[in-house]
Amino acid sequence: MEKNETKILILDNLSIGYAKGKHSAELLPPLSTSSNGSELIAVIGRNGIGKSTLLRTIAGLQPSLGGEVILNGKNISEYSRIVLARKIGYISTEVIKVNNMRVSDLVALGRFPHTNWLGTIDNSGRLAIENAIARAGLTSLRARNISELSDGERQKAMIARVLAQDAELMIMDEPTAFLDIASKYEIISLMRELTRDGKTIIFSTHDFNIAVNQADKIWLILENNLIEGAPEDLMLSGAFEHLFESSIVQFSSGDGNFSFLRESRGSIFVRGEGLIRKWTERALIREGYQLSSSITNPYIHITDDTDQKWLLTSDDKTESFNSIYELIRVLQK
Amino acid sequence: MKSEVLATVPEEIRLRRNKSLIFLVLFILLIFFFILDIVLGSVSIRPADIFRAFFERTDSEIETIIFKFRLPKALTALAAGIALSLSGLQMQTLFRNPMAGPYVLGVSSGASLGVALVILGFSAQFVPGSFPRLGNWVLVVSAWLGAGAVMMLIMFLSSKIRDIMTILIIGIMLASGISAIVSIMQYFSNETMLKAYVIWTMGSLGNLSAGQLQVLLLTVAAGMILSLASVKMLNALLLGENYAVSIGLNLRLSRIVIFTCTSILAGSVTAFCGPIGFIGIAVPHITRNLFRTSDHRILVPGTIIAGGVVMLISDIISQLPGSVNILPVNSVTSLIGIPVVLWIILRNKRDTGSF
Repeated sequence: MEKNETKILILDNLSIGYAKGKHSAELLPPLSTSSNGSELIAVIGRNGIGKSTLLRTIAGLQPSLGGEVILNGKNISEYSRIVLARKIGYISTEVIKVNNMRVSDLVALGRFPHTNWLGTIDNSGRLAIENAIARAGLTSLRARNISELSDGERQKAMIARVLAQDAELMIMDEPTAFLDIASKYEIISLMRELTRDGKTIIFSTHDFNIAVNQADKIWLILENNLIEGAPEDLMLSGAFEHLFESSIVQFSSGDGNFSFLRESRGSIFVRGEGLIRKWTERALIREGYQLSSSITNPYIHITDDTDQKWLLTSDDKTESFNSIYELIRVLQK
Repeated sequence: MKSEVLATVPEEIRLRRNKSLIFLVLFILLIFFFILDIVLGSVSIRPADIFRAFFERTDSEIETIIFKFRLPKALTALAAGIALSLSGLQMQTLFRNPMAGPYVLGVSSGASLGVALVILGFSAQFVPGSFPRLGNWVLVVSAWLGAGAVMMLIMFLSSKIRDIMTILIIGIMLASGISAIVSIMQYFSNETMLKAYVIWTMGSLGNLSAGQLQVLLLTVAAGMILSLASVKMLNALLLGENYAVSIGLNLRLSRIVIFTCTSILAGSVTAFCGPIGFIGIAVPHITRNLFRTSDHRILVPGTIIAGGVVMLISDIISQLPGSVNILPVNSVTSLIGIPVVLWIILRNKRDTGSF
């Protein structure tokens, strides 16, 4: 019990899904987990398993079918809508389409649960808005219309809105969907920084690499239960292998990578050094070769000669190549 | 952090000053067209006569014209413009549909059905003016109920169908369906009832009795006060219902407030002036583009003033200054409103933004 008091969020036998008339369609067996706060939690699981429903239920946007969501020691259904909004912020994949709404207007809407009946923003509110805009790195874009923002900028504006809302728990449904790689990492690094400032962020993602490399904790949702832990803990326990049971893809807990289950092309030996060797081996693995530690026929020799870097020796014949691409093309034949 | 806040202040002040200036200009226009609406007509009146009529009681013919005809008509135009524009603004935000308005969504038709049910279904006693006080209230309440019923139907359909154009077509279908029902009711009603109803459908801004004007002004004032309470809710609803709830909006309460408000506003005008089209769609867009904002703290008062101005202009055009002929005000508002609606449709094809 004493331990629970330090937890900001507890899911206790939480049953999620949609009630259809008298029947309720539960998506998953009851889930139990918790968060200690100030951490970045990634929710992963296969498509359609109920990640969005879980996030909406935690945010109080959808009633649970059973069990409890306990925030700061109190069931969220005991909070009024407005008080809950001061504690939980929510961002979904829904895009807001409003002309004539500037970034600062959008962020100002985050003050909704703190303002009077007319929505008048006082000085402390104005300060909160400006801080949120600055924190999200949007100061130069504050007067821009939101319809003119790029996907990444819009996501930052949405995060700034939640920051202005001043909620310690932020729920984000696929915050990096639709983003290019640079914006993806910008958003994730912003999210990480915010958790270091004391926010707790729970986000869902399909991007396994981001979840494993950036999250403090992973909630892995499987058909029959929820497994939680640091990404590395889950690697060690082999939990991810259940997630990716498939006949064509194999997940390796050794390096946290995926590989296709292909027909083996036999083993091959590579002689060489450093980065160039590493990427040559990657290409060979992609082609279905296993790496050998003793000499094979054929085998590859990486030289220092700039004109013929790769030498492929098979049956005493040696061919030379200038790029991995050319080398692989020949091996494919 | 403090210096960063200060750095943005000049820009904010400039924008705020801009907005105050637009408000000032709109307000001057409102007063100008209000006086012009009284001055212009088949009998010419000088502005000075208006002031004399107010300050010296002379019982002249001109005073009668001003107090019995021109002033009530100008007040009706003002109230109708405000009410229709405000209900249009609220509907556009609530349904997140730039094409929403009391006329196109069939809400005005719903109000007409309410009136038709009272006049044709029950008794010709409720013809406007025949029951000096009670009749007007029965008429207006039935119009509210009719408008409210259509609002709820559209709300229900909007939750199922996201496509703006589909909702619009459904609105047109609703309006046609309602007019068919009214035709059938006309077929089965007796001569007095029919006559009373036909007179009502021809209703315009100038046919209101003193009692009716009083009811109209009271209800529109009530609607305006209620609309102030909806300002914060409307701002939240810009984000869509999910986000609105996530920032703390009580969705049910806000729907009740906005529904009541639009039904009162659109219903009252329809009850006394008949259906007046396109003001409800056009004015909110004119206001948004004038102020370049989506903030309802500016849009609500802005729409109130702009709605009054546009309706007064429509009324001035409809009485064809210098002639004895009067055009139906509905055709004037349509001619003003349709280009705006076309512009919205064309812009929507290009943009992704919905407002």
